[in-house]
Amino acid sequence: MRRLKEHPILSVSTDSLQLVFYFEGTQVCGTPNDTIASALIANGIDVFGFTEHNHPRGFFCAIGKCSACLVEVDGVPNVRACITPIREGMNVKMQSGRGKPKW
Amino acid sequence: MVRHIKALIVGSGPAGLTGAIAIAETLGGGKDVIIVDEGIEPGGQLPKQTHKFFGHEGFYASVRGFEIGNLLVKKVKSLGVEIIQQATVTGIYEDVITVYDRVNNIVNEYLADYLLIATGATEKFLAFKNNTLPGVYGAGAVQTLMNQYKVLPGQSFLIIGAGNIGLIVAYQLVQAGAVVKAIVEASSKVGGYAVHANKIKRLGVPILLKHTILEAIGSDKVRGAVVAEVDDAFRPIVGTEKEFVVDSICLAVGLQPNVELVAQTGAKLVYMPELGGHIPWRDENMRTTVQNVFVAGDLSGIEEATTAMIEGYIAGYNIAQEITGKSQEEKIQKMKDELSEFRRGPFSKKVRDGLKKLNIYFPAGGYREELQNNYGPKGKLRAVIECPQPIPCNPCETSCPTGAINVGGNINGIPHIDYEKCIGCGVCVTKCPGLAIFMVQENENYSIVGIPYELLPIPSKGDKVKLLDREGKYVADGEIDHVIPNNKGKTHIVYLKVPKGLEENVRSFSYFKKPEAFVCRCEELTREEIERTIDMGITDYEELRRVLRIGMGPCGGKTCRNLTLQILAEKTGSTISDIELGAYRPPTIPTPFEAVVKSVGERMERLEGKSDE
Repeated sequence: MRRLKEHPILSVSTDSLQLVFYFEGTQVCGTPNDTIASALIANGIDVFGFTEHNHPRGFFCAIGKCSACLVEVDGVPNVRACITPIREGMNVKMQSGRGKPKW
Repeated sequence: MVRHIKALIVGSGPAGLTGAIAIAETLGGGKDVIIVDEGIEPGGQLPKQTHKFFGHEGFYASVRGFEIGNLLVKKVKSLGVEIIQQATVTGIYEDVITVYDRVNNIVNEYLADYLLIATGATEKFLAFKNNTLPGVYGAGAVQTLMNQYKVLPGQSFLIIGAGNIGLIVAYQLVQAGAVVKAIVEASSKVGGYAVHANKIKRLGVPILLKHTILEAIGSDKVRGAVVAEVDDAFRPIVGTEKEFVVDSICLAVGLQPNVELVAQTGAKLVYMPELGGHIPWRDENMRTTVQNVFVAGDLSGIEEATTAMIEGYIAGYNIAQEITGKSQEEKIQKMKDELSEFRRGPFSKKVRDGLKKLNIYFPAGGYREELQNNYGPKGKLRAVIECPQPIPCNPCETSCPTGAINVGGNINGIPHIDYEKCIGCGVCVTKCPGLAIFMVQENENYSIVGIPYELLPIPSKGDKVKLLDREGKYVADGEIDHVIPNNKGKTHIVYLKVPKGLEENVRSFSYFKKPEAFVCRCEELTREEIERTIDMGITDYEELRRVLRIGMGPCGGKTCRNLTLQILAEKTGSTISDIELGAYRPPTIPTPFEAVVKSVGERMERLEGKSDE
């Protein structure tokens, strides 16, 4: 796990409350404060999707600007994983290229 | 339905929040003022700042960034201003402003008499081979992950850029328990404050000046980086390449203003490299070329959070003045004077030069530049200040209970101590945002050095430690004399017992490594390190080898391969026979190049001999 257990300045919550969601069909656990990105990275998942040219894509700016972390959530593409909180049971999928919009 | 309000503020960072405070305070409440922000938590980039801010008490000097964010948000909310988070302004049209609310998945429409745009900045990207590989992060992004979400994306980091952000993030990574292999800086000097650089140097993190990154190594994520020296024209010098085994690379190569929205208002943009690139043209009241559109903070020119707060107030009071028709000139002037104080120093030169092109003039100089040349009477427990550059900061002066410290008038001045008044209490050590004040006392048999300390673990009296100098290099063995804990401010003072005569050298310490169980004797890797790496998701022998260099020493894995496989099997719950063995690569023993070359040479000779025939 990549979650901090202690920190000299910040209080680290030892809250055991866990939210469960799915990434590519596999269960992933997160905390209620997590974004999709922070939960995935905490679970060792660094590749969130692929570009049109099949290059792996991950997390870059963390503030919703760069669009490196786009994922598909419950069928909706182009969701910025870095500024989207996780929800119990949400279905997150890797996005390839620009994704297929749902009409 | 279009909602009509008096003022719409875009961005809940320091500039947006102080703008809201100024407007709502003047209006006697914030019911017609709304802040819209894209992020989850209000405060912009403040919630991820764990360091103490420079400046003076009026703008929260010596308070940590995330705490400043909380204070401002509380104030804004208490004034009745609505802050709408997770909402992005998607367009500013002639007749309407559209805001996409992600929580409710709806685009809402607004009309506002005044707009304060405080959209901040984005980290600049850098072009090098493989730069989109997962594991290459903006430095601020890593700060967000570790300080806001308490997730550390890797174990070993390379930082690109030795400006304040690069230096601060390096220090915060060490605080979070990561290893920073190096800070790489293309220019010939550190761009950030010396006190920030000193903080990280004395922890033993090297700053490689005149170096750049050439390549991120890895196919699906970062496994390393290639760094090379650059010449005076910033071209990499062939043959100087070195490889770093890291799992994360942080880019801290500057910021660029987020001008998209202000541009949509029709406000004029100008290109001003000194201020970060394209910025909105604006006057000294933060008004753009569009009458009712104001800007503040990094959007109006890359600077830092304290001046962003001041600019927010200036914009806010101007807007409030126009809404109410009541003069706020006094308050506005006070804030302008603050800016003028802050921007006198050498680090504000770019900002002053950029603003001059907008016909806004800020004076330079007028602060004390001389360093103090005496370190006080030997034998007395006293503070020693190592703050060599004029930076806008004075908590040492304002926190000293006996008035022994002063920065000489202007806030940018170099602090001096009056040793007759210093009582050795250490308050300044715990308050200094740059962690640049130390305690010193020479005794008969040994000396005492007190060090500001913000790491874990908190040492205990009597612990044996390695004493380090300002560069993080070992100077002698020593021990912890005592610790003055500071549970509120979190900057503790660790007093070290150091051999006599070394009190002017020792500025840091580290623990001796505990006796450990080694698995790989060539690369000195312990069971603990291997287990930790497996816990991070690296469950393949080949991958472990690449990340840790296990089995890559002179013995080629003859000693450690089985033990490693055994640990892998235990940790992953599989059997050794299930685990991919990994390649057995030549050479099986270290072979001298000379020997190889000789054989090639002989073969060549033979071949040449043949062709001669």
